[in-house]
Amino acid sequence: MNPSWITRKKWILIGVAIPVLIGLWWAFRPEKLWINQKVDEPAPFASTADPQPLYTGTLEGKAHETSGRATIYKTPSGIEYLRLTDFKTSNGPDVHVLLARADDESLHQEIVKGQLDSIELGALKGNQGDQNYDVQTSADLGKYNAVVIYCERFHAIFGVAKLEQF
Amino acid sequence: MLHMFKASGILASLTLALGFITVQAQTEGAKTLETGTFHGKVHSTSGRATIYQEKDGKLVLRLTRFKTSNGPDVHVVLIALKDADDDANFLKNGTDRVELGALKGNEGDQNYDIPTGTDLAKFQTVSIYCERFNANFGAAPLTKF
Repeated sequence: MNPSWITRKKWILIGVAIPVLIGLWWAFRPEKLWINQKVDEPAPFASTADPQPLYTGTLEGKAHETSGRATIYKTPSGIEYLRLTDFKTSNGPDVHVLLARADDESLHQEIVKGQLDSIELGALKGNQGDQNYDVQTSADLGKYNAVVIYCERFHAIFGVAKLEQF
Repeated sequence: MLHMFKASGILASLTLALGFITVQAQTEGAKTLETGTFHGKVHSTSGRATIYQEKDGKLVLRLTRFKTSNGPDVHVVLIALKDADDDANFLKNGTDRVELGALKGNEGDQNYDIPTGTDLAKFQTVSIYCERFNANFGAAPLTKF
C-alpha cells in the first residue's frame, strides 16, 4: 500500500464527514435539548380590573346529560366565585352545586354510596343558563378541584367538571 | 377666584372619572372565546391555549403556563381537526392549517396574532408543530369558554 494514498483517503473522509456532520447538526439542532428559550409576554390587553379566571373545565354528564363550562373567578378584591356558562342539565329534586376532589373514586359512579367529601356551594339556581355561586375563601381549590352537580335526595351525580388551572 | 378653583376642581375630577370609564371599557372589550390545555407526551408539551377577541375584532392566541421541548423550526399552527396525536404529520395527512408564526420560546407566556378571517369553527385545535420533521409536538383542542 502506498502511504500517500492512505493520507489522501483520510482527507477525503474528513472532507465528506464535516459537511455531513454540519447537515445533521442543522437538521436536529441537538444543543436545543439543553437550551431553553423562555419568554414572558404580557396579556395583549389590560385586564386586571376584571375578575380573573383561576380554574376552568367542561362539564360531563353522568346520571343525567349535563354540559357547559365551569370556571372559578377571583375578583380584584379577592372574592372567589364559580360561574357556569352554556350550562344545561336535567331538572331534578334537591339538586346542589358542590366542589369535590377530582381523584375521588365516588365520582366514577353515578350514584354515590355514603357521604361525598365535598364543599357545598348552594342549591342549583336553574337547570339551564349562566349562573354564579360564591366560593368561601377557605375552600382549598387545589384539593377540591372538581365541580359536581349533585342530587342530594338520591345521591346521584348529574355531571362533573374537572377543573384545570387557567 | 374661589369659584374658578372649584370649577377647575370639578373639571379635573370629571376628566379623572372619564379616564376610568374608558379604561374599563377597554378591558371589557377583550373577550375570551375559546380555551384548552396542551397534551403531548413524546415532546412533553403542557400549558393552556386561549383565544381572545380584542375590541377591534382582532383575534389573539395566548399561551400560558406553557412548556414544550425546544427543537428546530418549531411553529404555532391552528389545524382543522378536533384533536391531534403526538407526532402526527399534517403534511402527509393533508390537514388544513393556519400558520401563526415561529414559536417565540419553548417556555413561558406568549401571544400570537390570528389572521383576520380565520374560521375558528373549522380550525379547532392549536398545535406546536415541528416544520422540519413534520411532527406534532403537542396539541390543545379548544372548546368554547
